[in-house]
Amino acid sequence: MLKATLRSFLAHKGRLALSLLAVLLSVAFVAGTLMFTDTIGSTFDRLFRSTSADVSITAHNDVAGRNDQNFSGTVPTVPASLIPQVAHLPGAAAVNGRVALAGIVLTDANNKSIGAIGGAPTIGINWNPGPNSPVDLTSGTAPTGDGHVVVDADTVKKHHLALGQPLHVIAATGGFPVTLSGIATFNTTNPGATLVFLDTGTAQRRLLGHEGVFTSIDLTAAKGVTHEQLRDRVAPVVGSAYDVKTAEQTAKDAAQTLGTFLSVIKDALLGFAGIAVLVGVSLILNTFSMLVAQRTRELGLMRALGASREQVNRSVLVEAALLGLIGSTLGLVLGVGLALGLIRLIARGGMVLKGSQLAVHWPTIVAAYAVGILVTTVSAYLPARRASRISPMAALREADTPERGAPLRVRAVVGLVVLAVAAGLLVGAATDRNLGQAGILLGGGVLLSLVGLIVLGPLLARPVIRAIGGWFPRVFGPVGTLSQRNALRNPRRTSATASALMIGLALVASLSVVGSSIAASFDAQIDKTIGADLIVQNSTGLPFPNEVGDAVQATPGVGLVVRGQGTRGALVAADGTQKRTVVVGTGPGLDKVVRIQMRSGSVAAGTAPGHALIGSNYADAHGLHLGSPVTILFQSGRVGTLTVGGIDVTDTNPGGLGDEPVVASTTLRQYVPGALDDVVFVNVAPGASKAQVKSALTTALAKDPQVQVRDQSDYKKLIRGQIDLLLNLIYGLLALAIIIAILGVVNTLALSVIERTREIGLLRAIGLGRAQLRRMVRLEAVVIALFGAVLGLGLGLGWGLAAQRLLAAKGLQSLAVPWATIIAVVVGAAVVGLLAALGPALRASRLDVLDAIAHE
Amino acid sequence: MAASGEPAARGVALSKAYGSGDTAVLALDRVDVEIDAGRFTAIMGPSGSGKSTLMHCLAGLDKPTAGEVWVGDTELSRLGDKALTRLRRDRIGFVFQAFNLLPTLTAEENITLPGDIAGRRADGAWLAQVVETLNLADRLRHRPHELSGGQQQRVAVARALAARPQLIFADEPTGNLDSRSGAEVLDFLRRSVDELGQTVVMVTHDPNAASYADLVLFLADGRIVDRLERPTADAVLERMRRFDVRGGRQVTLPAPED
Repeated sequence: MLKATLRSFLAHKGRLALSLLAVLLSVAFVAGTLMFTDTIGSTFDRLFRSTSADVSITAHNDVAGRNDQNFSGTVPTVPASLIPQVAHLPGAAAVNGRVALAGIVLTDANNKSIGAIGGAPTIGINWNPGPNSPVDLTSGTAPTGDGHVVVDADTVKKHHLALGQPLHVIAATGGFPVTLSGIATFNTTNPGATLVFLDTGTAQRRLLGHEGVFTSIDLTAAKGVTHEQLRDRVAPVVGSAYDVKTAEQTAKDAAQTLGTFLSVIKDALLGFAGIAVLVGVSLILNTFSMLVAQRTRELGLMRALGASREQVNRSVLVEAALLGLIGSTLGLVLGVGLALGLIRLIARGGMVLKGSQLAVHWPTIVAAYAVGILVTTVSAYLPARRASRISPMAALREADTPERGAPLRVRAVVGLVVLAVAAGLLVGAATDRNLGQAGILLGGGVLLSLVGLIVLGPLLARPVIRAIGGWFPRVFGPVGTLSQRNALRNPRRTSATASALMIGLALVASLSVVGSSIAASFDAQIDKTIGADLIVQNSTGLPFPNEVGDAVQATPGVGLVVRGQGTRGALVAADGTQKRTVVVGTGPGLDKVVRIQMRSGSVAAGTAPGHALIGSNYADAHGLHLGSPVTILFQSGRVGTLTVGGIDVTDTNPGGLGDEPVVASTTLRQYVPGALDDVVFVNVAPGASKAQVKSALTTALAKDPQVQVRDQSDYKKLIRGQIDLLLNLIYGLLALAIIIAILGVVNTLALSVIERTREIGLLRAIGLGRAQLRRMVRLEAVVIALFGAVLGLGLGLGWGLAAQRLLAAKGLQSLAVPWATIIAVVVGAAVVGLLAALGPALRASRLDVLDAIAHE
Repeated sequence: MAASGEPAARGVALSKAYGSGDTAVLALDRVDVEIDAGRFTAIMGPSGSGKSTLMHCLAGLDKPTAGEVWVGDTELSRLGDKALTRLRRDRIGFVFQAFNLLPTLTAEENITLPGDIAGRRADGAWLAQVVETLNLADRLRHRPHELSGGQQQRVAVARALAARPQLIFADEPTGNLDSRSGAEVLDFLRRSVDELGQTVVMVTHDPNAASYADLVLFLADGRIVDRLERPTADAVLERMRRFDVRGGRQVTLPAPED
């Protein structure tokens, strides 16, 4: 029996090829994703291990959060005076002060930024060579004095920098010119940060604003002393104002921050891999159903010759397992290629990984084979069971593949019930005010509606295809009629083929609805809140040196200029409870540049020195009125009690002013000295042209490439661009599912052509031309693809609508259906059909008429 | 339609070889044949005699290795696939042994299919007459699987007649039918010649079927070895028996067309 199985496997290898491709692609996606994310993980692990000091001392700051340098203000520092206190401790072999500050900008002589803005960070570090340094000076000299920097080799190479080249560093204290004096090379893979090394004094002065402070103090443990032992000796010396951590803790903390980000990527990619697998299952299931149906006679003969039902069953399953095994192995290989491709792709985005350090862990291999073999055998099980149930004589008698199946009424009832429950869940998701609960309802509704439509598919095929292809006979004549009827011939097969496409397109449709609704909502929000003519801001929201605001104010044609700062802090209630929030500082005139709806008081009164503007939600919750005292814990750790000068209506919309307290910049800087601007609002002077002022500002800010000048429409474009980028990324990933779906259409058509060989011969004999025959196959493919598209779009619009209603609770009020995308999907589906039909149509038209007529 | 006196189709020194070199098998060996317009011609012969090959060549389904095929005044060997397809569509009707109908089309749609493919408007009166003659009026809306074997073959005959082709080729049209249905179908072919003026060429190995024809051509070893005008079943049977007695050679020949 095994021999017979192998023979049959080899005999059908052509027909199995497409299934194999489906297994291969699914497995490749799963394996590639795992390898890719594992590689990111291991690269960063190595980096963190190599950059973490044995024991490090950092300032303890509850308000600012750990290593949080995104918000401006005083950077948490450690005084240099701590070094002698810990240097003499037994077990401390070396003690070094470290300055490391992200968020600086390095530009070349033309004011072009070096290092990715908005991507990987640019980090300013004091040059501190030593045995534990993660970098080595590979050319040039170490930085000395104010005017020299060493830059990491990757950045030097990427931007073609040369020793002696003049550069410009922009830090919180402002910009200063430097010369490239040396190049440092990482002794592990640097995933993409731009490193700018300064001599210690310069780093302290320029980056931190003071000499005599560090961002951390690093200790190297002596031989025979563990990191823990050293930490336990250091901790009591420095006291509770400082955190003392071992290298392992530091690396773990860093990995944890990265881990969340990494697991989001991993989950998203695996989600798409899951979709690919799901679509692959439907393809494999379909292929095996068709193969088994075609082999009804062969299997019947085996049964008649005495093969037991189990043996027939096993024969099909062994065939599937073989297919799964081969597919998984090839898939793993392709997965390596895919991972390397992703590594190359992400390198363009600024994250450098080394292909030679590709992480292929055991779980990846196990997962690949588990997915491949399991999916294939499970998909083949149903057809196998059906095959073994056929009575041998019936199988031998039946020449044509019969159109049999479970009673459609059961299918209709089950499908409708599932769909009704799904609809209920989606409506529930759209109306539920509890976001978490609504999310669960949405997920359930999406899943159930998908299942419901797959179950109902064969029943929907007839009416939907009649509607889609109704005009075919009129336009294409008998060829149109034939193709439409052929598509309807086996509704189960047609709908299984179309459902693969349906899944991909439903996701495209729903995400495009959500995406464009979000964009439309942001547009509305921008219109509603932003009153300023122009806004100067860093695209990532990072603060920038005050020279930017000064330059803006000095630009001719500007009228009102309002500079804003954002710092971390907390609102402290009467009972001492803290509500963490951003504390916003603003110059006078905020109400002229931002539209704020007031409950009581005024923006001007709220942002007067010593006063605060607070949100109505917080005011109501804590019984605050105009004139009430409000206590704020600032980022610096200082506490101030201010007077409520205005209460604004809390705006929970994204981009709206929520419960964040707003105070005057002067007040903010009393508590957070050195707080930097993170936004500058500009109204043009009366009589000046907005366009002229905008270009004047752009010129004035040329040496600060990290900030951009935008008006409202630029903002809308920016947000739309970001959403589009995300959507395109998702579409790109969904393309895999769609490719597998196309393979499914190809498979179905190819097998249909084989099944209908005699019919094709007959048609050719009675005068159907080759071109007409090809058109017939193409039209059938188009009908199937459009059927999938119609179901997918219907489903996707339903999902998108429910999701949009759900997000409306989060302030995304506008619903926008991207008709262009929808039409593109329909046209795309038709094109997909045409593409899928290329091979089968050619094959059909090349059949020899006589051979075809005589075909058994 | 061919002018009277001129043959509907002609084969001149037709040869058809399968394979090449020593293993070549000659299915047709310089056959000269004329199919008279307005008559019912049967082609008979044992398995492997080349009768199906002859029919396929005459019908433009197969290309002879040598020789000429004329349908009316058209010589087929110079025609490409497109022209041949058009010729079959416009000037020839087919009835095959089995699988004559497209399962997705109704009887009526099957009947009008060649005309529809050509984009011709159906001749309503003619169609009605054909349907009437073949007694199919109440079966037109049925799908093939709802029809009996005999009914299916009758629909096939109706399709062959519908476009008023110059020639109808029937390849063992009764091979899959019981004797009563077979007789019905043959009767209709006969009537299509007598009453509708059609030209019919039928390949068969059934002497009874051949007896419906005006003329029987006997093929053996790729040659026309005999002809019988106004045959009876007994006369045909007798002639066929002589093949068996003489036999041996034809039987051992490979049968390329079956």
